[in-house]
Amino acid sequence: MIGLIVFGGFVEYSFWGLRESTIRSQLGHLQVYKKGYCKKGIANSSEYLIKNYQELEEIFYKIPCLELVTARLSFSGLISTGEKTLVCKGDGVIPEKEAKLASFETIIEGEGLFKEDQAELVIGRELQKSLGAKIGDYLTILTTTPEGMINAADVKLIGVCQSGSKEYDSVYVKLPLKIVQQLFSTTSVEKIVILSDKTEHTPEIARRLTILFKEKNLNLEFKTWDQLAEFYHSVVRLYNGIFKVVKVIIALIVLFSIANTMTMSVFERIREIGTLRAIGTKKIQILTLFLWEGFLTGVIGAILGMITGIFIATIINLGGGIYIPPPPAMTIGYNALILIVPEVLWYSFISTVIVATISAFYPAFKATRLNIVESLAHT
Amino acid sequence: MLIVSVKDVVKEYKLGKTKVNALRGVNLEIKDRELVAICGPSGSGKTTLLNIIGCLDQPTSGTVQIINENAAFFSDAKLSELRNKHLGFIFQTFNLIPVLTAYENVEYPLWILGKPGLERKAMVLKMLDEVELLDYKNHKPDELSGGQRQRVAIARALVNMPKLVLADEPTANLDSQTGMSILKLMQKINEEFSTTFIFSTHDPQVVKYANKVYHLRDGKVSELTEG
Repeated sequence: MIGLIVFGGFVEYSFWGLRESTIRSQLGHLQVYKKGYCKKGIANSSEYLIKNYQELEEIFYKIPCLELVTARLSFSGLISTGEKTLVCKGDGVIPEKEAKLASFETIIEGEGLFKEDQAELVIGRELQKSLGAKIGDYLTILTTTPEGMINAADVKLIGVCQSGSKEYDSVYVKLPLKIVQQLFSTTSVEKIVILSDKTEHTPEIARRLTILFKEKNLNLEFKTWDQLAEFYHSVVRLYNGIFKVVKVIIALIVLFSIANTMTMSVFERIREIGTLRAIGTKKIQILTLFLWEGFLTGVIGAILGMITGIFIATIINLGGGIYIPPPPAMTIGYNALILIVPEVLWYSFISTVIVATISAFYPAFKATRLNIVESLAHT
Repeated sequence: MLIVSVKDVVKEYKLGKTKVNALRGVNLEIKDRELVAICGPSGSGKTTLLNIIGCLDQPTSGTVQIINENAAFFSDAKLSELRNKHLGFIFQTFNLIPVLTAYENVEYPLWILGKPGLERKAMVLKMLDEVELLDYKNHKPDELSGGQRQRVAIARALVNMPKLVLADEPTANLDSQTGMSILKLMQKINEEFSTTFIFSTHDPQVVKYANKVYHLRDGKVSELTEG
């Protein structure tokens, strides 16, 4: 029970951390695009730009539980110090809104973007190392416009960020939206990013957007973070698979230890069982007696385990959590806390009771098979 | 009325590769309200015979009729029911359930029978009063003396008002004075409730309380004495 609560809480925290960092550094809770973007726009984004962003922003802010509406314009190109040139991929963002959206992104050197019309940029840690650039250096961004022309902009490096993903940090750049729009000679945006006040409100916002698009005949479509976060889902699947194995191992340990204890209990009470049978207790009643004993052992064990598990989780959390070194392809570790989640508590409670009851079955069955005369003579 | 009829009962045990003949053709009849002693030396088959009469064991051959029922064809569940309703057991080592109080030990057979709570309470208190242990009803067995424990066992055996009570050496673990008081109690209950008692013993002092004595030797009835 304790193992399930602590490990389950650790896994839930890892899921929560990964989910929120995915949402609050990259995706937002929902992304709104021009209709058709999801099918064809990724390869040809210039055909699927949203022209009336300000108008839509006003409409979206009327939806309850919404914390933020902002816009992005993605691009890919080259970044150069003059001496070194590397591939880059990035976003044009609205700086004052980005601080709220990208709350899980860490600026490890310099500062984040804060002026929307300044030619400044923030780049990923690995990209900074590869370019050998320093804060204050001027870098050139080279990209292709929707018309197929080449355009460039000189921008000042003001900050270095770290997301934790090496691959991401080796190409990522972030500039003010207006600068990227100037590069593309457009006033449109590629996507509108919506942040909810709570991740749990995402489905409700999605429902309201669907109604809104229909009512106002907006030529738009959207995706939730859930539909966009492939890496998150693959990590969740992996962890859930591992957790299943852990649960099975724990269940087997509980099953065998309770079965062993109850078998000893049957052995110690052979004469008692013989007496009960002699005075008229049926086999099925003996079986039920021991199954109830297993069930109650499970309930009491689960309650005590829950209290102890919560206590241990609290102690770990008060101590700052458990340090986890950087996973593969990541650059930073983190301190994992143990989340106390009702679903984990209930699952652990119910599975402990069920396993305890099942493990009582074999000893209970053995008790019913005892010969009455031999049991009465047992010393 | 015949309560027990045993005809040509043979009981063989296998102990490893050896065959042991515990009973070699026993015949006996026990009538209603009798106080019957089965006596004999150790290994004569007393306990085996008592177990067969009490439907705790099946004979290898022969017939056993208990209260006009041929228990040989009964299922395990039916035998349990028969024991619960019509038979009472008193053991040499008392065999009380240690985690239950005196009250709960006596109540247990009634609970199996499915008697309602108030009825159970009345019957238990009456029986504890009968064995003079009402003041000890909340005591656990380890808080009672040997004689008191055997009284609780007697109360448990009688609480369902069985027709037949089987007592396997009921005084063997008691001092002589306590043993005598137990036998007097059994005699009193036999007279008051018309309950048939069969007890096994090798103590000649105990035999005096019986009105019929079967002497067992080497698995056979060697003598029948009627008092």
